[in-house]
Amino acid sequence: MDELTALLASTIRNATPLAFAALGGLFSERSGVINIGLEGMMLISAFAGVAGAHFSGSTIVGLLVALLVGLLFGLVHAVASITFEADQIISGIAINLLALGGTGLLMVIFFGSGGTSPRIEPFGRLPIPVLSDIPVIGVAFDQSGLVYLLYALVPLSWYVLFRSRFGLRLRAVGEVPEAVDTAGISVFRLRYIGVGLSGMLAGLGGAFLSMSLLSAFTEGMTGGRGFIALAALIFGRWNPVGAFGAALLFGFAQAIVFRGGIGFTIPREFIEMFPYVLVIVALVGFGGRAVPPAASGRPYRKE
Amino acid sequence: MSDDRSSYDPDPVEGGADADIGRILRQQAASAGQALIFPAVALTIALLVGAVVILATGNNVFEAYAALLRGGFGSRAAFGRTIANATPLIFTGLAVAIPFRGGLFNIGGEGQLFVGAIAGVWVGLTMPGPGALVTVVGIVVAGLAGFAWGAIPGLLKIRGAHEVITTIMLNFIGINLAFWLAKNPLAGTGAVPGTDFVPDNVRIARLGGGLGGAHWGFALGLLAAVIAYILIWRTTKGYEIRTVGLSPGAARYAGMSVAANGFLAIALGGMFAGFGGGLESLGTFGKVSVPFISNLGFNGIGVALLGRNHPAGVVLGAIFFGGLAAGAQEMQFSTGVPLDLADVLLAIVLLFVTATKLVEFLLGRRARSLAVGTRLEKGLAG
Repeated sequence: MDELTALLASTIRNATPLAFAALGGLFSERSGVINIGLEGMMLISAFAGVAGAHFSGSTIVGLLVALLVGLLFGLVHAVASITFEADQIISGIAINLLALGGTGLLMVIFFGSGGTSPRIEPFGRLPIPVLSDIPVIGVAFDQSGLVYLLYALVPLSWYVLFRSRFGLRLRAVGEVPEAVDTAGISVFRLRYIGVGLSGMLAGLGGAFLSMSLLSAFTEGMTGGRGFIALAALIFGRWNPVGAFGAALLFGFAQAIVFRGGIGFTIPREFIEMFPYVLVIVALVGFGGRAVPPAASGRPYRKE
Repeated sequence: MSDDRSSYDPDPVEGGADADIGRILRQQAASAGQALIFPAVALTIALLVGAVVILATGNNVFEAYAALLRGGFGSRAAFGRTIANATPLIFTGLAVAIPFRGGLFNIGGEGQLFVGAIAGVWVGLTMPGPGALVTVVGIVVAGLAGFAWGAIPGLLKIRGAHEVITTIMLNFIGINLAFWLAKNPLAGTGAVPGTDFVPDNVRIARLGGGLGGAHWGFALGLLAAVIAYILIWRTTKGYEIRTVGLSPGAARYAGMSVAANGFLAIALGGMFAGFGGGLESLGTFGKVSVPFISNLGFNGIGVALLGRNHPAGVVLGAIFFGGLAAGAQEMQFSTGVPLDLADVLLAIVLLFVTATKLVEFLLGRRARSLAVGTRLEKGLAG
């Protein structure tokens, strides 16, 4: 495998968990609920996937467990921030801490000690005939099934969000919930769906980490990826295609770090700062300002 | 969004601005007692969930909680561990509480603390002169570095970027900047990546008296809380900050600058986090290693909320958090309940400490939302 192909392969592998979680953040924030708990949702699902696969002996069952637990954590965020009107930011921080402590606790309960879980059978590579034979970019079609799922989810998310009735309502609820309510549509229900989807998608990102990129769970293995995903979402202007592009860009930056440079050396600390600096630049408006959904962060109360 | 002040959405002002401000401040004082119900509800739920977890691990709930309490407060050594843990949390708690009073939500304590920690060590390692002077200068420089790091989201806010997003991003920028400095210009000679230890005569002295690793930074933390109280409640500037936080519209009508006061509030918050970082690097650890302590900034948010964003509450919240972390070790040692339970308990406290609707359900009447009077109520875009 030549250098360029290897770099592209590494970019895709690094971008995949970011893109899943960014799509997760998208559905939540478009519905008006900020989700800075993506990191925690990824972490708990990374654990749940491995635990599920370990005890059932099936990787697919493990993935389903990861999805379910991601949904559960999404619902925790939803109950706290939608039903109980808790602050969305703080609820997100609580989710992150809950996942951190919870995975530590569950490691001891399920596997007897902290650190790293037993190894599981990971998702193997499934090369797509013909496409995977294309020079260089063929490597994008020589990945695990989860990566293809991501390729499908990006346009699907775009379609659902911008072309379906559900998407229109979801976006409306994130901008002017009062109007949606007046039209007789439940704000709560739409937001619960948005945040629930968010948990499942972030969960897929976590499962990819522990069940495809690696084949075991390690405590704290998300390592801030949930926040990079948040950065990708904002830099991608709360748009699925934009978020995917940003995830690829940030995945490329990580690939450079992990592969030890591309001819010239930039200290890894500076490459790791890169996504966050870009977001700040985007927020203050170079090249068209990034503006969040108008109602994000604001609990909705029926008057 | 074309007007750069649009991020400070004007509130409709009814009646005279002065009367309005007075009324709001009085209401706020009246609700202080009622507000204690939020932490009480959150703590109760956390302890109940914790009990279930303890039972699930096959342990006795009362024994486990007794060990938790003993490990945090049961002896001088235990209390020493508690206040050693609490010291940085007082500062990161103030770093959240002060900007909150000005209507800004500072999630950047983590980065501000790291920037302060590395700045303090920089002075400690390189400045010549008597040890005590170097220590004092080091702590001051740490605070200034934190101020500068807190000033950035303050400025970006004026450009229309919400501080919740910018402070999250600046956390990771600050952490990586501190790590780069610790591994390159300030790299030490030891095997562990990071700086060397600062000289012994620069390092902040321990309190002694059987309190173990607790150092004089704790006393500085108490002093910082008093100073924060005076700044925010006993000065004209503090009055302006609180007014801006409660009602930007009324504040503007009264001739106060919303932008300048918001900027000052978050930069001051950053300064306190910076002090906390300097005390950790010059006191508790004597150096900055890579990786360094983590989550103090995020836990500061919990500390501030549990203390209802009041300096006295912040001190109590920090001691509670510190005690929980110290007690969890004893609990793991003597009962086998994993110390990760402490994080789970804190998470549940955080999850419910702002749960307005839940408290209203329990009280049977409307409760004052934590976010009322801050621009968070208007969402990320506002």
